[in-house]
Amino acid sequence: MLQVHHEGRAVVSSGTRERAEHDVARLHAAGLWATMQQD
Amino acid sequence: MSPARGVRPLRDGGYRLRLEPHERELLDVLAGELEQRVRTDDASVARLFPSAYTDDPAADDEYRRLTRGSLADGRLRALRTLRDTCTAERLDQREADAWCTALNDLRLVLGERIGVTEDLYERTMDARDPRRPELAIYGWLTWLQSEVVDALVSRLT
Repeated sequence: MLQVHHEGRAVVSSGTRERAEHDVARLHAAGLWATMQQD
Repeated sequence: MSPARGVRPLRDGGYRLRLEPHERELLDVLAGELEQRVRTDDASVARLFPSAYTDDPAADDEYRRLTRGSLADGRLRALRTLRDTCTAERLDQREADAWCTALNDLRLVLGERIGVTEDLYERTMDARDPRRPELAIYGWLTWLQSEVVDALVSRLT
């Protein structure tokens, strides 16, 4: 969260696409911005 | 002396809620408006349903198809709880959590509409700024949300 505060973005979850989408949806439910990125 | 306005944890595990009648009425009105906008997928609530894939429209459509319903349901449930309990003197844990969610959503949508940015508190407000009434509501929602968050956090320590 501090990294987000200072840099505007941070990686908060990684893993399979399904798992990451689930985490993105939880962040969206909390009103936060979150996007998927493939490495 | 009457206790301060706001939200305080109670010994019984609930939360004491003290607000003026006009504040309770305003919450009901604001939450009712937002319910309607979420239900009709109004453009003004786009902030509550962000993209998951910014460079892959097909994947983003799929994500939205899978999540839009449950995200909207969660928000509508929280707004419903806020409206049902806006005249209450006491909130239980579930209700206080719902207040937190609903107040956050109200702030996000209002903040987006009036263009709130991080420098909001550093600027001096022009007395003729047409956004003044909405900024006043935004400031009040911010105060109320911080009351709820502080009360919830006090249970964690």
